[in-house]
Amino acid sequence: MKKKSQALCALSVATVLLLSACGSNGNNNSGNTGGDASPAPSPAASTSPSPEASKAPEAKDVTLRVFSTFAGTDAAKPAFQKALDDFSAKFPNIKITNDAMSANDDSFRTKVNTDMSSGNEPDLLFYFVGADAKGFVDAGKVVPLNALLDEDAEWKAGFNPAALDAVKQPDGNIYAAPLTGYYEGLYVNKDIFKKYNLELPTDWDKFTTAIKTLNENKVIPLAAPFDQSHYLIEHFVLGAAGGAGHNSGILDAVNPDWELGLSKLNEIGKLGAFPKDAATIDLNMAAKYYSQGKAAMVIEGSWAQGSFSDEVKAASTVLPFPAIPGGKGDGKSIIGGFGSGFYLSKSTYDNADKKDAAVQLLKFLTSPDTIKAIAQANSGTPAAANVQVEGLPQLALDGFKMASEAPTINAPIDTQVAPETFTTIRQHIQGIVSGKDTAKAALEAAQKIEVANKK
Amino acid sequence: MKGDKNYILAFLLPAFLLLGTFVYYPFLKSFYLSFFRTNGFFNKKFVGLDNYERLFSDDLLGAATLHTLEIMLYVLIFQVGIALVLAVMVDSISKGKQFFRTVFFFPIVISGAAISLLFVLIYNYQFGLLNGIIAKLGFEPILWMSETGSLKAVAVPTVWHYVGFYFVLFLTAMSKIPSDFYEAAKLEGIGGIKKTTMLTIPLILSDIKVVMILAITGTLKIFDFVFILTRGGNGTELLGTYMYKKALVDQNFGYGSTIAIYIVIFGVVLSLITNRLLKREEVTY
Repeated sequence: MKKKSQALCALSVATVLLLSACGSNGNNNSGNTGGDASPAPSPAASTSPSPEASKAPEAKDVTLRVFSTFAGTDAAKPAFQKALDDFSAKFPNIKITNDAMSANDDSFRTKVNTDMSSGNEPDLLFYFVGADAKGFVDAGKVVPLNALLDEDAEWKAGFNPAALDAVKQPDGNIYAAPLTGYYEGLYVNKDIFKKYNLELPTDWDKFTTAIKTLNENKVIPLAAPFDQSHYLIEHFVLGAAGGAGHNSGILDAVNPDWELGLSKLNEIGKLGAFPKDAATIDLNMAAKYYSQGKAAMVIEGSWAQGSFSDEVKAASTVLPFPAIPGGKGDGKSIIGGFGSGFYLSKSTYDNADKKDAAVQLLKFLTSPDTIKAIAQANSGTPAAANVQVEGLPQLALDGFKMASEAPTINAPIDTQVAPETFTTIRQHIQGIVSGKDTAKAALEAAQKIEVANKK
Repeated sequence: MKGDKNYILAFLLPAFLLLGTFVYYPFLKSFYLSFFRTNGFFNKKFVGLDNYERLFSDDLLGAATLHTLEIMLYVLIFQVGIALVLAVMVDSISKGKQFFRTVFFFPIVISGAAISLLFVLIYNYQFGLLNGIIAKLGFEPILWMSETGSLKAVAVPTVWHYVGFYFVLFLTAMSKIPSDFYEAAKLEGIGGIKKTTMLTIPLILSDIKVVMILAITGTLKIFDFVFILTRGGNGTELLGTYMYKKALVDQNFGYGSTIAIYIVIFGVVLSLITNRLLKREEVTY
């Protein structure tokens, strides 16, 4: 009996140890998020945190976690890594964990939202502005940068004012420091068009004629996936509804121009516009069809240029999506803007140990030099004032020209409506193209979801 | 005997804590969330039974259920079937058993995502392996991921991936059959296929039952193959992928949780039916 109880004792001690190990982990985490209770409180007290952020922090080891989407096939991944390395070389006491996840999928959104809601915020977060950020901004997980920008005139002056304006949340505060902007457009392989004596698709007739001819010649006219049909939806709505209509949302009523735009998917689907396997490929594969010269057109963002093969890049130009007849589109407006930036976590800002280092890194990563390097890599519009990106290919110059001539530059629909609303539209695209479903039914279903989400 | 009770409690406690934290707590939390309309991670609104009402009017969920049942059929016939055939064959050879066991088990070691990516390159219409071979032979390329064929195309790697697991289970079950059964059969002049159908299979029936229940519940969890190969397009949306899309892509955790509850109930009902259908006296030896 005695032996038994000893064993029992030992076992419970082991269990307690196991549990307490778990427990202390939890404490550490909450300590970080709590802010004041940092892992090493006494040294924190001895070095008084200087409010002057530009002053180098005293050589105390700090580790900062930076979450971004500069991963996988992102064209700016090496440039971003180099920026972090340069910073580490300058401040050897600041260790940076480059926590990056590719933006090819939606899973990085899950990661960001889980981190932000579970007290595991990265110190700096590179993420979208707008509807995507609404949750953690409203919950006070990130700090407004207005005061920091005003304190450091040099840093603020480095930005293009329009870029700073574009990243404002609806409450009027700037939470994200922008890096590069982007535009989306219709990429056209001029060589293929020349081969079949086609005119560039600057209006709807030329666009449909091109689709017909290309399909007859067994070239994929427009590489696009049906599941990840984000760009298709945005541009067909923009082409039919124009900038104002595109931004009108779907909460109050279904805009008939949206219906017109989406119903055109059926029309061009009948002409054979899409790849045969459009229902099962993803955006990556669609872009690959274009970048290997198998497709003549693709709707993509400026960031995709880096992944085109050299041959296709040289043959490409980018055009605004043509206006759809009978709609309000102007054929010149585009989707684009400054849709993302670096957020500074509230928990980091409140942590005297980390605050200065994090602010310093934030300023370094959004300095004109870094912005220039990133813009060079991803062909985006630099968010910095007076930065000229040199040595850009003609395609990127075409893109900037398109953006500068656009009467309206609109944030994509999925940053304006609830995620579920947008997926509801996406789920109907295959049906609309094949004729099994109608644009009207799709938009009515989406509106119902939008109302359930927002009212 | 009181001491025994303490022992039992003490040994059960760690497992209970782990299970409780990682299985029962999330399950109850899902149940709780299924009564809310969530919008992202930060807002939720109590909506009562709205999500459950939605379950019954959701065409996509109905379609996903049918697709899941279809792929379950393929899994039961081919995955369990092929595993059984392979196990019988390997069991009856005298040399190289170990080799075949390793070879057939191997696909399980590869992650589902990697296999899926492999099959993306095999099936692709434009530059896939299969169409490459067909083009070399001078035929028109075939759309493997067609509207009717996609689910079958997804079923192929799904079946292949897990055959080895059931194969090993069957083989282990067969090795437990005492050899005197076979010696008696030999004396009676029973051999070949008859020996397999009359002796081996009835003797491992309880293992077959376990494998079938594992296969059925496993089908409810299929995710990677569909998500990477077709993204749920062309009639391949399964319950697992649909739940993921609702909960994580749409950030509607409320409805996603409701679907999760539905999947659990669906799985339990299917397992009960299987159990009932295969009810037979257990063989002990």
